[in-house]
Amino acid sequence: MGKDEAGIGENAQDSPSPSGSAGGADDPFRGKRDRPVTIRAESISKHYGDFAALQQVSFEVKKGTVVAFLGPNGAGKSTTMRILTGYLSPTSGRAAVLGLNPGDASQRIELARRLGYLPESGPLYRDMTPLESLQFFGEVRKLDGLTKHIERVVEQCALHEVLHKPIEKLSKGYRQRVGMAQALLHDPEVLILDEPTSGLDPLQIREVRKLIRELGQEKTILLSTHILQEVEAVADEVVFIFDGRIAFAGTKTELAKQGSLEERFYELTESKEVA
Amino acid sequence: MGIDYGVVRAIVRKDMRQYLGNPTGYVFLTLFIATTAAAAFLQEGFFARHLADLAELNGLMPAILMFFVPAITMSAWAEERRWATDELMLTAPVRDVEVVLGKFLGVVGMYTISLAFSVAHVVVLYSLGRPDSGLMASTYLGYWLMGVMFCAIGLLASMFTTNATVAFILGALGCAGVVFAGTEPWASGLLGTALVGLLAALVVYVHQGQAGSAGIAGLVGAGVGVLLWLQPSAAGPNTFVELFEHLSVTAHFSSFGEGVVRLGDVAYFASGTVVMLSLATFLLGRRHW
Repeated sequence: MGKDEAGIGENAQDSPSPSGSAGGADDPFRGKRDRPVTIRAESISKHYGDFAALQQVSFEVKKGTVVAFLGPNGAGKSTTMRILTGYLSPTSGRAAVLGLNPGDASQRIELARRLGYLPESGPLYRDMTPLESLQFFGEVRKLDGLTKHIERVVEQCALHEVLHKPIEKLSKGYRQRVGMAQALLHDPEVLILDEPTSGLDPLQIREVRKLIRELGQEKTILLSTHILQEVEAVADEVVFIFDGRIAFAGTKTELAKQGSLEERFYELTESKEVA
Repeated sequence: MGIDYGVVRAIVRKDMRQYLGNPTGYVFLTLFIATTAAAAFLQEGFFARHLADLAELNGLMPAILMFFVPAITMSAWAEERRWATDELMLTAPVRDVEVVLGKFLGVVGMYTISLAFSVAHVVVLYSLGRPDSGLMASTYLGYWLMGVMFCAIGLLASMFTTNATVAFILGALGCAGVVFAGTEPWASGLLGTALVGLLAALVVYVHQGQAGSAGIAGLVGAGVGVLLWLQPSAAGPNTFVELFEHLSVTAHFSSFGEGVVRLGDVAYFASGTVVMLSLATFLLGRRHW
């Protein structure tokens, strides 16, 4: 399927936000609503045999926004992210990131050049040092001026102290930072982060959230989480997934309109469980 | 859509660095040299024949490589999947074929280094007598080609599991199939049965994507293989067995050990390698099925 055939490119602005909200005068994100769509999932389903991991998942993320992909464990967050990055293909439906179809082999290569991805649990080559790891991904990405790119992400992720230590000997927090550095190395326009604060202590979580907020000033970020405080801390908008289906998409103000975020979280999950 | 050799080079460098930066790599290397030296020289035949050649080693080399090469390849994919680093690699701007080629050349590089160290055996032969240089060159070309094909078999085996030990066993079994084919009719028949079963399982897995159905298809395929193998043949040897005798590594390697480089034998090793790598690339794409 070609780029044009997909018809769901980054500049497509014909479809409304999945939340369906126009944004009132007090809406702090009103300006962001007018931006072009950078990530779009359109009726994506993913089946493993008889098991449906995703069912008709549709949502969109606009340029320059930080969107929290919220949901309990096993809801389908990672599967959706893997489809958006082109690691997996959907059983049906279409995805577009920056106007490119991740399911198309050649478009996926172009997309990978412009997309930064931190997979779940921040996998890394443990016998390498952070420097060797960054050099490897820089070589694979064929980055010009690789040293400058490495210096930038080392600064952004505060990796100076551990740059030459084997990754297997680093703390979980530092490993997560190396994973972030890898995702940021090529200065991507879009970041997809799968549970970036998972397993970190409160101080490390604060640092990662601060970094995400800073990056969110100029990049489009989709981050998955099941932590409600994370949504409060970093996100502009929320896409709530439960049991492989989108249960809500909109601003966090809209999500918490009828109570606290926590109450809405339980309400959305419990109502689906009963159904 | 061509292959980006810069990407392949980066993957080869990373994997070679991992092999050579790990003490286990050096243990395997030392074991390989010690085992091949023992197979070449610590045998009665070597001293009885009074010939400065590697005939004794030639007989045992397929069996040695059957274990040594899977020991190199066992971690190639299994470890990537175990630590989920394959997800990092496959979401970078690289094509599946480049990843497979990079991984393959990484293990071939490690095998080539090991084989290069074993050239010490030839130096020993020169100190003992006057070996035929052409014979030595063809013998080593045969060792290399055989090892390269085993690298491709081992790499494919490593894609089926996240456990390096299981990958080693699968790789050794795969290599054993072609090592023992042709030695006895039952070995060729068994290899044929296994290949028919695997082919049936693969076809069903590709179409349905379900491991259960693929397992049943594999068993049915193997059953068909057994029937073909055991069918009575009035006119001489069983054609099913004969067909798989042609896959014998030993038969295709023997001419190299005699100083003859046959195009057919080179083509056998080259095509075996290409088939295994194509299958590996195909299976890497199974995440999209």
